[in-house]
Amino acid sequence: MMELSGKLKHLFVSRQWVFLVLVMVIISIFTGAVNPRFLTIRNLTNLLSQVAVIGLLACGATILIISGEIDISAGANVGLTACIAAILMRSGMSSPLAALLGILVAIVCSTLIGVGCIIFRAPSFIISLASISVFKGVALALTSGTLQMIMGRMEYLGSGTVLGFIPIIFMITLLGYVATHAILSYTKLGRHVYAIGDNPRAAFLAGINIARNKIAFFALNGFFVGLAAILLLARVGAAQPTTGSGMELQAIGAVVIGGTPMTGGKGNVVGTFFGVLLWGLIANALNMLGISPFWQEATMGSLIIVAVAITSLRALAEKSLLA
Amino acid sequence: MPNNHCILSMRRISKRYGDMYALSNVDFDLYAGEVHCLVGENGAGKSTLIKILSGAERPTTGSIELFGHSFPFLTPDRALNLGVATIYQDVELVSSLTVADNIFLGHERCKAGGFVDYAAQRAATQELLDTLNIHIDPDEIVANLPPAQQQMLQIVKALHHEAKILIMDEPTVSLGIEETQALMNLVRRLAAEQIGIIYISHNLDEVFAIGHRVTVLKDGLKVGTFKTEELDEHSLAAKMIGRERSDFFERKRVKIGEPVLEVRNLTAPRLANNVSFTVHRGEILGFGGLVGAGRSEVMRLLFGIDQAVSGEVLLRGRPLKIRSPGDAIEAGFCIIPEDRKKEALLLSRSLVENVAIIKNEKGNLILDRPGERSLVQKMIERLSIATTSMHKIVGQLSGGNQQKVVIARWLESEADIFIFDEPTKGVDIGAKRQIYDLMVGLAEAGKAILMVSSDMTELISMSDRIVIMRDNTVVDIVDATSVTEQSLVEAFLGIEPRGGKEHDGAIG
Repeated sequence: MMELSGKLKHLFVSRQWVFLVLVMVIISIFTGAVNPRFLTIRNLTNLLSQVAVIGLLACGATILIISGEIDISAGANVGLTACIAAILMRSGMSSPLAALLGILVAIVCSTLIGVGCIIFRAPSFIISLASISVFKGVALALTSGTLQMIMGRMEYLGSGTVLGFIPIIFMITLLGYVATHAILSYTKLGRHVYAIGDNPRAAFLAGINIARNKIAFFALNGFFVGLAAILLLARVGAAQPTTGSGMELQAIGAVVIGGTPMTGGKGNVVGTFFGVLLWGLIANALNMLGISPFWQEATMGSLIIVAVAITSLRALAEKSLLA
Repeated sequence: MPNNHCILSMRRISKRYGDMYALSNVDFDLYAGEVHCLVGENGAGKSTLIKILSGAERPTTGSIELFGHSFPFLTPDRALNLGVATIYQDVELVSSLTVADNIFLGHERCKAGGFVDYAAQRAATQELLDTLNIHIDPDEIVANLPPAQQQMLQIVKALHHEAKILIMDEPTVSLGIEETQALMNLVRRLAAEQIGIIYISHNLDEVFAIGHRVTVLKDGLKVGTFKTEELDEHSLAAKMIGRERSDFFERKRVKIGEPVLEVRNLTAPRLANNVSFTVHRGEILGFGGLVGAGRSEVMRLLFGIDQAVSGEVLLRGRPLKIRSPGDAIEAGFCIIPEDRKKEALLLSRSLVENVAIIKNEKGNLILDRPGERSLVQKMIERLSIATTSMHKIVGQLSGGNQQKVVIARWLESEADIFIFDEPTKGVDIGAKRQIYDLMVGLAEAGKAILMVSSDMTELISMSDRIVIMRDNTVVDIVDATSVTEQSLVEAFLGIEPRGGKEHDGAIG
């Protein structure tokens, strides 16, 4: 019995997602008891399609944060990419081609941030902060600030489901997570993410080309940002320069809730996945509980602080447990 | 000259770390107006003694009497309040502030309303500098001052806080000749004003130039305290060394083959000046010299961490161009750096990720995870790394095991030139022995080994030949079997040999 409780303790301490699942179950039971509509398939479908976009952004954010970098322009990049894809579609280009070009734009934008960090030896926080205005400005100039409707194009993607209840866009996000996990755990590039995030100096002395790898991390982040922008465009059916704005903070919040520390070198995308689900679940539950939207925002912010507190307490517990 | 007013007396000070005594039963005293030098090899216990006096460490046993009050230990606060100030090698000033701001840092003079009274601070600083005859502008930004003036500024700051005992830890390491002179004049003036000075230096010239007395430490024990006029450089150097023969590691000698690496006139500003040497198959080439002599710098140039501006590196007779560590590894170099935590290990990652890092670099985009695991398992057994699992976080291993992890990553690569920079620093005795055996094993397998070491016994017993470096140049290359510790120390310090006697009584 002692041994079992020790094992359980270890499971909770070493795997943040176990903890997150537990919290989700508790919230679901409580919300379901207050408002039975919460536990319907329809609501589940809704919830899953709500988290799909942020989920993809969080994939890229996880990679960057583990490698010791950050991209806070992801939201603005989503806006720019969605606008460009929408404009192309409206000009008569086929939707898949426009989507592909959009993703390419996002990759270029994100890569440029990485290149900027390396050339100017500047922290990615600063370069991406400045990029927010650049991306937004370009989007404004291209759209003249107007809403770009795509008139039902990509509707199959935006509202389609698998097995009748899982949104296609959520399935794509899920694939994104599988891919990210595979990259982080099974490829050389993934090892570089952890090595550079943990100790760039040691990575350099082990023969790893830091600059080239960082650019690859940003390019990868750009891919997820671009894909997220296309899914968002498909779901909403329109884009404008402010589309996606603020999403990067939700994505980074989900990464932190998932147990990846901002200091780099540690973490995994499994935690992020459950972080995103928890985030979506709480947002949804607050709605279902009839809480005023004004308080919802404050609740979500507080949630990140709670997650940070849990992460640091967990690190302490880990220390004492392993000592 | 000092009077006989004893201001500090440390009695029977011992300091134990684990099973090791860094100091044992050391007595030390200081008179007002005296310059008392502290000498000894690396690891002799000088720093520990200083740390105890400045309150950074507590002695395991012993007592400290300062200005007539007795304490079992000091805290940094208490030491400062009693007037004990330590001037460290690496300058501890805020480089973006002015000279006057630094002097008053934390004790700013304020006008009504909490505003800093810059005029008063500047005037007081100017006055203090004038009395010490130091020509520095109080308004100058500290970053713009040369290193010597920064050192002096630290002393000025200590005096401003009414220090009565000044501890100077190798203050002249980064200074030129004239700057050193100026600093020593300042030290003399301070002594004349009845300040007690503890002066640590590897430079025996300085010891004789300004010291009244000198205390010699060796392996945590006090050899003795002597008046400087009763000694000369040779007798002092002899007191610093002198070791039991049993301390030396008897290594197996291996056949030395053809030259592998030839370095010719390697030069880079402030790193290396015309450095040349050759290392052969099966040879352990030691690099000896004082800390700061430029040994690690040469290794960094060879490994592509820094770039040489001129000179040649020939690998098996063919010129080699190395622009990055990646190039160096490709060419067959590997490095076990001095600071493994900063330069080699991924402390929050597992043994697997740390050991397989080099193998993975040469592998495919997709990791060979079973291959990784079998490599790591093999290394854990081969180097007897003490760990509960190959997935354990490296930061949780002991120093010796961490060092083995760093070595392990290179063993399966096809490297044939091994650079060991202080291979056994912070490693316990058992692991030390294993690392030595491993190095000899590598030599036996025909690898060429460059070993930087500040541990004299290690340097003499492990090396086949020793490259002696001083001031970023190679001053001599000697056969390790025909040197004595004394002749080596004298060569490091730059003492002229006494009529060829230094080759007598060679070791092993």
